[in-house]
Amino acid sequence: MKLRVFPPEFKGRLHDARTATSIGRWLGSAFAVCFVTGLFSHVMQHPPDWLADSIPSRPAWGYRLTQGLHVASGIAAIPLLLAKLWAVYPRLFGWPPVRSVTHALERLSIAVLVAGSLFELATGLLNTAQWYPWPFSFVPVHYAVAWLVVGALLLHLAVKAPEIRAHWTRRSPGTLALPVQDGPDRRSFLAVVGAGVGAVTLTTVGQSFTPLKDLVLFAPRRPDKGPQGLPVNRTAAAARVGGITAEEYRLVVAGPRPYTLTLAELRALPQHEVELPIACVEGWSASARWTGVRVLDLLAGAGAPAHARVRVESLEPRGGYRVSELGREHAHDPLTLLALRVNGEELHPDHGYPARLIAPNRPGVLQTKWVGRLEVLA
Amino acid sequence: MKALRVVAGAAGVALMGVGVSLVTDVRDPLDVLVWLGGAVLLHDAVIAPFVLLAGWVLVRGGGRGPVRGALLVAGALTAVALPVLLRPGKTANASVLPLDYPRNWLIAVVTVAVVTVLWLGARGFGRGFGRGRRRPDA
Repeated sequence: MKLRVFPPEFKGRLHDARTATSIGRWLGSAFAVCFVTGLFSHVMQHPPDWLADSIPSRPAWGYRLTQGLHVASGIAAIPLLLAKLWAVYPRLFGWPPVRSVTHALERLSIAVLVAGSLFELATGLLNTAQWYPWPFSFVPVHYAVAWLVVGALLLHLAVKAPEIRAHWTRRSPGTLALPVQDGPDRRSFLAVVGAGVGAVTLTTVGQSFTPLKDLVLFAPRRPDKGPQGLPVNRTAAAARVGGITAEEYRLVVAGPRPYTLTLAELRALPQHEVELPIACVEGWSASARWTGVRVLDLLAGAGAPAHARVRVESLEPRGGYRVSELGREHAHDPLTLLALRVNGEELHPDHGYPARLIAPNRPGVLQTKWVGRLEVLA
Repeated sequence: MKALRVVAGAAGVALMGVGVSLVTDVRDPLDVLVWLGGAVLLHDAVIAPFVLLAGWVLVRGGGRGPVRGALLVAGALTAVALPVLLRPGKTANASVLPLDYPRNWLIAVVTVAVVTVLWLGARGFGRGFGRGRRRPDA
């Protein structure tokens, strides 16, 4: 007997619709969670004007949860996607390659779905390790391709709906039509795919789910590693704000009644302590005890109206996140602080000494460090 | 059902349109296209044939379930670990990639191997115990 080279023959079992449907259900769920949480993060970071004032500042752990889920569901999807593509791989060599215009379009949409899915998971994972081997900017492209994937996935579900339904359960008609002896083997395969998902989750999720931090093997961060037990993204040296002294520091509060404070005056104002997470877009997060002055109190001193938004400016000379904006909800939340201390110590320069913003339900990159100016916006 | 499928399919095409328009907004959409195509090519021409070949060579005979499990779990862990294992260059600061990842990878692979051997052992023990009862072929 001669082994045919092209199109190749696949004698292995389980390249069937029931296996594809079983894995597809989990993969689809992971993608749904990943897309919704990603969209949420996008809106938090780039709120459209009509939404900026309605972004809620509670629950305080909101962004920590959604972004932790975004990265965890993306990581869980890696073994699921590979298993799913393994199950359907022989279809790549279906003969004839194109039967009709509709068939050609369907294959094209599958190509987009596969390309986009691999692309999103790969670029997302590499981004968490801050590795950027591609020539384009990560955020807009990762965002754009997400829409492409979600659209192609919806189209795929619509096209395959009858087949999915026929193989939805073990006793669905399509499943029953498959060879009975494959059943135990398929269940064993699906169980180990589940074990793979469990393994990659357990060894990474501790970067945001801190009770499991001791199980972290492959996450790019540990939530307790860094100065003062907290990870850092941008250091004071990188931001060129290394040498701010207590004597020369000034906080400018610009508003209807503008004023300037020295660090000593800032320390003399009523101090509040809050427990808030710092939650990074790359997936890691850690909770800390922050002490400082309520932004609410600083705004009141400047005669800010109750609905005012606030522009927060860093002392760093340049950087993509030098300036952030607090929407109405965040600016007037009593948990939002201009923090001077963390976990009982004066802020480390890498955590924003002399003063940094810390607000509930907010991406880490918007928790502006080395704050030099608060400006009340109308 | 048919109407729902048509609506879902049309919505899918519309969302893909959103994606295409967002991709064309970035500075060099051609680069994105190259990376999208490269991802499919890398998977379909390199990764998938390699995995199928590995399965064909290694996953056979009586212990095929546990062996397949070991390869799949170790493979999944390795895939997720690749960026932290291979990232070149200096990190932004000491809190980025703070762990000994090659050591962690070894721990993970050894753990998978030990669990697999225990699984095979327990299966062999169970089979010896139940001698005379024929197991259905997997």
